Amino acid sequence: MNCKKVSRLLSIYQDRELTSALERQVEFHLRDCHACRSEWDGLQELVGSLKCLPPPASDPYFPTKVMAGLQDNRAAKFRLLPAIAYALIFLTMFLSGFFLQLSYNNTMGAEKPKAATFTAVLLENQDLGLLAVHDNTLALFER
Amino acid sequence: MDQQTLTDDEIVTAVLAGRRQDFEILVRRYSGKIIHFITRMTQDRDEAQSIAQEVFLKIFQNLPYYRKENNFSAFIFKIAKNMTLNWLNREKRTILFSRLLGREFNKAPFRQEPPRVSPQDQKERESEITRNLLLLAEEQRLALILKVYLEFSYKQIREITGWSIPKIETLISRAKSRLKKNILLQERSHEVVYTARKK
Repeated sequence: MNCKKVSRLLSIYQDRELTSALERQVEFHLRDCHACRSEWDGLQELVGSLKCLPPPASDPYFPTKVMAGLQDNRAAKFRLLPAIAYALIFLTMFLSGFFLQLSYNNTMGAEKPKAATFTAVLLENQDLGLLAVHDNTLALFER
Repeated sequence: MDQQTLTDDEIVTAVLAGRRQDFEILVRRYSGKIIHFITRMTQDRDEAQSIAQEVFLKIFQNLPYYRKENNFSAFIFKIAKNMTLNWLNREKRTILFSRLLGREFNKAPFRQEPPRVSPQDQKERESEITRNLLLLAEEQRLALILKVYLEFSYKQIREITGWSIPKIETLISRAKSRLKKNILLQERSHEVVYTARKK
């Protein structure tokens, strides 16, 4: 195995992710090659430095906080319940009123509103010409 | 049964059957690792705590979608990864808008570290590593943190991220060489400053 290939494999070798055959080849090369050995030492030093960063201090109340958060989350879901209940009551009242009125109209045979009709009136003494007058308005004059 | 002996899958089954309080066992089991992961990704300890809380809420909501044939650890870290990347993207947008509006933005994780007093100081060394980790591309940082700090195998990283093994190998290898280069350059510059001050 040449230096170029070893250099490419060093990081994987360090992570212990090489096959045992490749691992042996890298180890064999590192024993003899000074340049690769120095590269390897640098890598080891780097990972050592990275690992010297202490893990963050743990908060003993963290699990309790999470569990409280779960409760809050559940409560938030039910916070909308009163509003939904009011909306449902209103909708039920509205719809029942509407259908009651409809059934009342059907059973009592209530008259359907008459379609508006218009009559043409010629205004002789005026220059306004022809006017369309609603029948109800005309009825007032007829009286 | 002792809580320690219960497997993740058994706890999930119990929670889904209505024993919500058992979820706390999972929180106690994984909170350290999750907070560690988020802290390393964001380099902001306070934010990491609040993101971790949201992560656990999300995990709870998504428990019905967890398939037992998969690894539970990979399942929760996938959620943690997605939420952390979302947070980082939001932060980037906030910084961008602040700059567009001509405002200074001094919030972590991209804040400037205080000036160094002594390069040998352990705290300084830590902040230097932290700063260099933040300089890495997001994918490289994610892969490196999952490998170095969480000690996941490449296979587990593949489950969490959905990347192929060769991609993971390349990302970690590049992250290491970039960090090595940057730290070495900084150490050299410290030496130059130190010798100049001595003179």
